[in-house]
Amino acid sequence: MEKNMDKSLTWFPPEFKELNWRLWSFAIILILSAGALILYPVSQFEGYVDPFYSPTVAVIPLIALFRLSCYAYRKDYYRHVFRHPIACLDGIRFDDNRKGYSGEMTFFSLQNFHRYFLYIAIVILPFFYYDIYVSMTYISGEFIFRLGTIILIANALLLTLWTFSCHAFRHLTGGHTDCYSCKTAGGAKKKFYNGQSYLNRYHEQFAFISLIVVLAVDLYIRALIVGWPIDFTLLKFAI
Amino acid sequence: MQEVKIRIRRSEPAVSNEVRYQEFTVPVGEGMVVLDAVHYIQNNIDPTLSVRWNCKAARCGSCSAEIDGMPKLMCKTRMDTLGKEITINPIKAYPVVKDLVTDVSHNYEIAKKIPPFTPKEGLKEPWTMMQIDVTRSKEFRTCIECFLCQDVCHVIREHQSNYFGPKHVVKIAALDLHPLDSIDRSELLHHDGGLGYCDITKCCQNVCPEEIRITDNAIIPEKERIVDHAYDPIGLLIKKVKRRKW
Ligand code: SF4
Ligand code: SF4
Ligand code: FES
Repeated sequence: MEKNMDKSLTWFPPEFKELNWRLWSFAIILILSAGALILYPVSQFEGYVDPFYSPTVAVIPLIALFRLSCYAYRKDYYRHVFRHPIACLDGIRFDDNRKGYSGEMTFFSLQNFHRYFLYIAIVILPFFYYDIYVSMTYISGEFIFRLGTIILIANALLLTLWTFSCHAFRHLTGGHTDCYSCKTAGGAKKKFYNGQSYLNRYHEQFAFISLIVVLAVDLYIRALIVGWPIDFTLLKFAI
Repeated sequence: MQEVKIRIRRSEPAVSNEVRYQEFTVPVGEGMVVLDAVHYIQNNIDPTLSVRWNCKAARCGSCSAEIDGMPKLMCKTRMDTLGKEITINPIKAYPVVKDLVTDVSHNYEIAKKIPPFTPKEGLKEPWTMMQIDVTRSKEFRTCIECFLCQDVCHVIREHQSNYFGPKHVVKIAALDLHPLDSIDRSELLHHDGGLGYCDITKCCQNVCPEEIRITDNAIIPEKERIVDHAYDPIGLLIKKVKRRKW
């Protein structure tokens, strides 16, 4: 069985050499959307900061790397972009031994730096909460609560849930230790780890819902800019 | 009584290269599982059909097969969850001995490479540990060694490598997460075990009849432990500083 492919391992992964329209269409979509962000920037509108610009557009590559190295997204593109395998059922797996495969041994071993992108994401996260505050107080002397603020709150919460349900975070909170009841007083660590593990079960869901909501916020702000009358005010008073 | 058509892959490589699918018609009663149907064929139609089984209670892990392309235990798959025409194949990742019986001995070779439970030095008897710490590794101890996860894993099924496979990561995680064990087997997994080949696509987790969350609870935590000692410079630094007695 063990023919040992190790000899054939080079740094350049065989996955990229496949004739793979999924990979290239994915790459083109990424480039087009990056272009759209740069050519048609809408960093903010009436107190709403576009999530792509929070705190600055310069962090997008870091956030993108956090998403790309997230275990949930990895699973998804290894399956649906590289088809290793696309499904578990025999006959529709679209994987076979003629396709080259290096898994996370060569180029994709870079995924192992995921935890560093997690640390960066944790630093960036508070800015989304600051944006909520700004959206309510951007007119001096006035407090205003609009539909857009609710959307921003949902966005921030989902990003928080996604970030803290991360597998690397799970490792940090308890996965690294064999005795997680031994550490810190009062079982705080234990409780935290168990709670985190509960969130972790839904990590894939959080990963994708949060992405959709980020895009939705961006579209919402763009819709406001072109004049859609959808941003009704729920509450408004002087402070 | 309803009737169901069952196609079974027949072969005996030691005798001939011939592979054929034979079709049987089997009456299906209430509560019947696929293994019952195979037994019906053995007892009433063709006694030469070979199948391995022991417990018929999803405990021994012997009756693994691919039912309509999905790796499953024959004794745990009810006929009423399937259609009127069923195809049964032996598990594809391993060489066939005869009909539905495969040779899974490669797994025993891998198992020999895994260092057994090694208690920490200087433990006083009786050993005490918190239930909560044992719970984590308990999940993995429910493994019945059916090798369905090995069979569905594309690294083993479609690509040759030194990857041990999900079943063995489960075993390793059970030992590594044990609060009184003293060995870190993630280094073994990183080098000899080829865990880097796993791309966390979770088919193993989907088929496990014991519902062990193989990828989430065994593979990813082991991957993260590998990051600790092989990829994370800051983590290594912190560990070094911590180990120094101030
Ligand atoms: S998650 Fe890893 S071990 Fe499980 S089937 Fe996929 S590649 Fe194999
Ligand atoms: S982990 Fe699950 S699927 Fe794999 S051998 Fe054990 S019981 Fe079977
Ligand atoms: S016969 Fe024992 S698990 Fe199926």
